[in-house]
Amino acid sequence: MATDLQPTTWVNTNHPAPARKPPASEVGVLGWLRANLFSGIGNSILTIVTLIALYFIVTGLARWAINAFWEPIWVNRKVFAVGLYPAEQMWQPAAVLLMVSLLFGLSAGRWGNIMRNLGIGLGALLVLLAVIPIGLPAQMVMAASVGLLLGGYLLGQRVAISSTWLAVAWILSLPVTFILLTGGINLPSLGITWSFAPLVENNLWGGLMLTMLLAVVGIALSFPLGVALALGRRSNLPVIKYFSIGYIEFIRGVPLITLLFMGMTLLPLFLPSNWGNPSQLMRAMVAITLFSAAYLAENVRGGLQAIPKGQYEAADALGLSGFDSLRFIILPQALTKVIPAIVGQFIGLFKDTSLASLVGLLELVAVGKSVIQQPEWLGVPGGVAKEVYVFIAIVFFIFSYGMSFASRKLESKLGFGKR
Amino acid sequence: MAQALFLLIVLIVGWFLYNNMVTRLAAGNTSSGGALNWDFLNGTAGFGISEGPTFRPEESYGRAYLVGVANTLRVGIVGVILATILGLFAGIARVSNNWLLSRLALVYVEIFRSTPLLVQLLFWYVGVIAALPAIQDAADLAGVGYLTNRGMYLTWPYITASGQQWNWWLLAGVVLGVLVGWIRKRQLERSGRLGSGWLAGIVTFAAVALVGFFVVYSTASLPANTAYEIRRGDRGTLFADENGNGAFEPDVDRTLAYVPIVLFDADGQELAVGATEGDGTFRFTDLPAEAMTLTWDTPAPIAISEPERQGFNFRGGLSLTPEFAALLLALVVYTGAFIAEIVRAGINAVNKGQWEASRALGLGTGATLRMVVLPQALRVMIPPLTSQYLNLVKNSSLAIAVGYPDLFNVSRTIVNQTGAEVQGILLVMATYLTFSLITSLFMNWYNKRVALVER
Repeated sequence: MATDLQPTTWVNTNHPAPARKPPASEVGVLGWLRANLFSGIGNSILTIVTLIALYFIVTGLARWAINAFWEPIWVNRKVFAVGLYPAEQMWQPAAVLLMVSLLFGLSAGRWGNIMRNLGIGLGALLVLLAVIPIGLPAQMVMAASVGLLLGGYLLGQRVAISSTWLAVAWILSLPVTFILLTGGINLPSLGITWSFAPLVENNLWGGLMLTMLLAVVGIALSFPLGVALALGRRSNLPVIKYFSIGYIEFIRGVPLITLLFMGMTLLPLFLPSNWGNPSQLMRAMVAITLFSAAYLAENVRGGLQAIPKGQYEAADALGLSGFDSLRFIILPQALTKVIPAIVGQFIGLFKDTSLASLVGLLELVAVGKSVIQQPEWLGVPGGVAKEVYVFIAIVFFIFSYGMSFASRKLESKLGFGKR
Repeated sequence: MAQALFLLIVLIVGWFLYNNMVTRLAAGNTSSGGALNWDFLNGTAGFGISEGPTFRPEESYGRAYLVGVANTLRVGIVGVILATILGLFAGIARVSNNWLLSRLALVYVEIFRSTPLLVQLLFWYVGVIAALPAIQDAADLAGVGYLTNRGMYLTWPYITASGQQWNWWLLAGVVLGVLVGWIRKRQLERSGRLGSGWLAGIVTFAAVALVGFFVVYSTASLPANTAYEIRRGDRGTLFADENGNGAFEPDVDRTLAYVPIVLFDADGQELAVGATEGDGTFRFTDLPAEAMTLTWDTPAPIAISEPERQGFNFRGGLSLTPEFAALLLALVVYTGAFIAEIVRAGINAVNKGQWEASRALGLGTGATLRMVVLPQALRVMIPPLTSQYLNLVKNSSLAIAVGYPDLFNVSRTIVNQTGAEVQGILLVMATYLTFSLITSLFMNWYNKRVALVER
């Protein structure tokens, strides 16, 4: 009887048929094509029309690029890089490049994140320039820069370098760059003249070097002013608040080129006559710094607004003074938050420095204009303007797109914009 | 206390700078000629302006500047409209399901956002437009116009001398059209049907315009005091002789545009048939230099003017200079790339459920985009769009790089001639700030209009 009650294990012997593979039209290359390019009649027509347009664009561009006359760019590569900087003193710009590479390497190793992304981009560019036969000394400098970048990176990762010291090194790198490029310190109005090499007037600086310098100076020098204006705009004191608002809105309301012309023609007027006239480069830098400060202030304000009120209250509760709470609690958080925005502003400023060509500085675009007019290329049918401007556009594109790519990588890593 | 200190510092610095400036200006070690006043604006300009409202060298600097302002507005307004259209299409292409199209749009956006506007402008101007065929072998655009390296010449409709009354009909048509469109919209809303009533408005406008056209055509006549002046045998001006002295005086007499004319010689023999230009002038070539008489006809309110080759130039039609074309192209393509990103972000900001709900209601992709997604995306898009429009107007100051006479370029010419550095810069800055203010006010008003109405 008990057998009736014996538990029986029930096993399903009736196995279901093994799952069939999805039809070939839904997976793999075919499936992807169907989903993304030929999902309907309208979409298919769109794809075909786009393909035809693409065919004409790509073949047209390729044909042009092959037949184009690229010699002026190759011949003038030194001018595009540093302008009229004396050839026998090229070690000075090279030293600046080596210094910046080392600092980039150390920062990438120490801080990672965006510095690491930017460092990778810089490294790739330097490797490319070291491989292209632009001239043996220059290639060696590029190779040495790659070495310093890598070495700095490894050092920065292994050794705990003080962040403060690294930041101080970055800040000092700016005056050091100026001293290196000038070949000393030359301030006749203050009675200082000291040199370790023949002095190089800054109207000889040019090319990509000057473009970079203008953009870096524009961001770096505008930093203190921009932060002050951002704090001023949020201040409770009406005089300071409205002064900041007035300054920011005024600068943002006028084109950069009017400020550059103002710097060129009016800046000397505003200085005492016994100070002499500042150089073209100085005037442009003042204009770009004043311009950049207003935009930086708005970016920093965005960061300040993103700090929860609780942070201020907590700082107050800890008994920090207003200045200390700003320095230790609010600004570090706010500035970290706005790094991507500041990178974006740097990219914009980098592109905007091309306007300096209109006020007589020999930056990249101005070099291009003078190359186009060189008598050697007069016989080229159609001129060499297209080639030169396309080259300049490519240079700007590599830097702008590289920087925005590095910054976007960081944004996606930190999860910005994914809410 | 802190405020007083701050104010004191600002005042001291300001006084220091101002004092230096006054000293330096008085010392005259700059090009500016001493005192800061605005009298120079009344001086005779002595230079011509190649495009925009007609400007003669004997007019004042002040008017020259206004012509520059008009040119800035011309390129700015056309640029904003075209950049919005380009950006809208590129932005929609960016979010398209079609992989190829969205990639293509991405490439466009990245290339043009990542290179400086100035380089693009010079590329279009020196690299592309200058490489177009010369006037002699102009590219024929199949009746629409001609493309040359000296500019673009388009067949264009113009309002003629007898069309002035028609302007009133057009105005009435706009008012009536808006009214009918609004009534229709209310009616549609009340009956709960889809639609916005713009079709009814446009039909009304077209009907009024058409009736007006025929009324004006059948009743209009040229002024009774119409007279003409022939200079150098083959060219002359047709005008309404306001003071009856028979001579053409540009300050008093009104020129008559696009009037059909017939030219006779002294014996009454017909020599040539033609029409006056937009500025009332006419011109014939290969005519005997002897006494000639002219008869004219009342033109239709609208004349289609076709560009015609005359010697080394084109006459008639709408001519766009290479400078204007390059500046417009550069501004539109550059700003369009930024607007495309704004449109993309705006569309992505609309909840996916909105697409699905609209699909569930049976709306197609186009209708969903037009009636559900874009109106909601617009709210997100307006603030960044405003700043792009302002950027476009400010960037039009790059005109100086190609020689288009916008306000900044004209102001530099004025400053170079008069030495009024400080005033010139102040004037330009004040003008741009006014533009910024007006655009911001308008966009804020529009923003409020489309904002979500919450309780």
